Amino acid sequence: MGSAIGIIANPVSARDIRRVIANATALQITDRANIVLRVLSCVKACGVDKVYMMPENGGIRHHVRRGIDRAENQGLKHFPTLEYLDYKISGTVADTFKGARLMKEMGVAAIVVLGGDGTHRAVVSTCGDVPIAGISTGTNNAFPEHREPTITGLAVGLAVTGKVPADIAFLPNKKIVVRVNDQEEIALVDVAVVTERYIGARALWRTETFRELFVTFADPEVIGMSAIAGLLQPVTRLDGHGLHVRLAPEDEAAILLNTPIAPGYMRGIGISDYTAMQPGVKYKPELTDGSIALDGEREMSFSQKDEVTIELVRDAFKTVNVGACMHYAARHGRMRMTQETTSQPPGGKT
Amino acid sequence: MTASKSKSSTAGIFPLDKPDLLQAYRTMRTIREFEETLHGEFAKGDIPGFVHLYAGEEAAGTGIMMHLKDIDRIASTHRGHGHCIAKGVDPREMMAEIYGKVSGSCRGKGGSMHIADFSKGMMGANGILGAGAPLACGAALAAKFRGDGAVAISFVGDGASNQGTFLESLNLAAVWNLPAIFVVENNGYAEATSRDYAVAVDSYVDRAAGFGLPGVTVDGLDFFAVYEAAGEIIKRAREGGGPALLECKMIRMFGHFEGDQQTYRAKGELEDIRENKDCIKLFSERVIEAGVISRAELAAIDREVIAAIQEASAFAKAAPLPTAADLTTDVYVSY
Repeated sequence: MGSAIGIIANPVSARDIRRVIANATALQITDRANIVLRVLSCVKACGVDKVYMMPENGGIRHHVRRGIDRAENQGLKHFPTLEYLDYKISGTVADTFKGARLMKEMGVAAIVVLGGDGTHRAVVSTCGDVPIAGISTGTNNAFPEHREPTITGLAVGLAVTGKVPADIAFLPNKKIVVRVNDQEEIALVDVAVVTERYIGARALWRTETFRELFVTFADPEVIGMSAIAGLLQPVTRLDGHGLHVRLAPEDEAAILLNTPIAPGYMRGIGISDYTAMQPGVKYKPELTDGSIALDGEREMSFSQKDEVTIELVRDAFKTVNVGACMHYAARHGRMRMTQETTSQPPGGKT
Repeated sequence: MTASKSKSSTAGIFPLDKPDLLQAYRTMRTIREFEETLHGEFAKGDIPGFVHLYAGEEAAGTGIMMHLKDIDRIASTHRGHGHCIAKGVDPREMMAEIYGKVSGSCRGKGGSMHIADFSKGMMGANGILGAGAPLACGAALAAKFRGDGAVAISFVGDGASNQGTFLESLNLAAVWNLPAIFVVENNGYAEATSRDYAVAVDSYVDRAAGFGLPGVTVDGLDFFAVYEAAGEIIKRAREGGGPALLECKMIRMFGHFEGDQQTYRAKGELEDIRENKDCIKLFSERVIEAGVISRAELAAIDREVIAAIQEASAFAKAAPLPTAADLTTDVYVSY
């Protein structure tokens, strides 16, 4: 398939209750479409001629189509050929699962994801070894790095067209595998064990229900569950381990941690202790009845009759290393439009 | 109807106590049975006017109304039976009203689209699309002046959300920081017109943001998702946090009105709705699986509800029609 890429843009991320309790962002559909258009023009500028998109009924596709039509009316050629995958739209996460799986089967070189941590998780669940590049259009978003999508689009274009070597362009990532009996799910950033047994509005904000936390990385610069771990003991995405945090009611806690668990939503979190989470070890939650939140959303409930394991897995999937791609491109003249490109930086070898 | 705050064996499992879970089920089943009965009776030709049935959408109305008290007011829609029942209006009087009988909630003068019961905070179903939103603003303004913590909720469908009255009300509520909540019951169709065709914005959260209101979208088929989101929104409004919009994505099981052949639906869509997207079935499976409520307990409620609605139907049919002398009563308020 050459250097065709896929785009999966979730129209319903950033729509949950955190708009009310935490003044969280509500990114408009037209803005999401504009992000897609920016990515399209950037990958085209790097030599990508074909892009497949997940179909959706949330409105993004209509605005994207309108943008492309307007450019064509003006005689502009800065968009690649765009094709929507053809399947019945459910309006649920099943669309994302199917889109990512089809893109993998079609052999796309990378998938650009617009959404929150949950959307990225859904893509990784079915995209196999296809690298992904994340753009944050959700609420807490610890997984996709925050930057202008133009740059993400350029990095993807540079990576999939070979202008940046694969060993520099792509990074391995950890994931956490959660099993409840025969049901298996994954998390890219965090797994939280909470006392509530219902899924409800999905988002996590009632701190008194938090009991245990497992994270692939712990970043003090993000918000949400990963922030709890990040403010205790930072762990990078490339470290070989994660972090396991045991939480406690405030009056029983060894540490009371001031934490942004949603945008602008500071709460004290009681901490019992924290230790490194080792890969390959099957952890069992201490709680016998509760729910498991994956990347910040309650997804699975369990009771004492269920067998639950939580396991960190290394080298689980690849992401486009946007920073490395752009720095390599700069040092090696990959963005220069004249013939005098150089493979050597003026100051010496890299 | 207000959920109790007491703890029980459901604590930490569900956000409601067991009696409240049973009440939620009873309310949803009452709405369903009421509407199914009307569906059958309307076909016989004995009911005047039109009826628009709420079957399939029970989780939304019930999940929201569980947070309300009688001092809280709601402004409903043409599809208002479910809102009425969930807000506590007597189904016997509602049934009589729909039959146009003097025993009805409004002495037979309102019919299906104008059922009201101020004692329950039900300001009325409404035959004019989008007309409930300004009424809710008025009720919210009154509550703000009284300072009693009451809220007002306006229900609209996805079609009525395009009406100027609705959009002006969003603006007014934001400007005056009213304890008003706008619930968009998005069942995908304005009569037979798809919302994808007829609604310019793609998300109701976007529409709310245009007026400076926070907006939230929930799965309206999931009682617990609606209950949890509505609870936060209503609590915020009671405390002076201001208006908000709640979009409930839902599905109606019957046509826009009784007699609508629903030719705009895909083949097999209705069967799929009954089988896989029935909000009452989803609720039942959840509480039974959690071991909080038994199948037998739900079946007992089913029997009681069926008997109650049969009795309501018989009561309505047997009740007298208004006389000519009733024509000039209840027209003006006596001062």
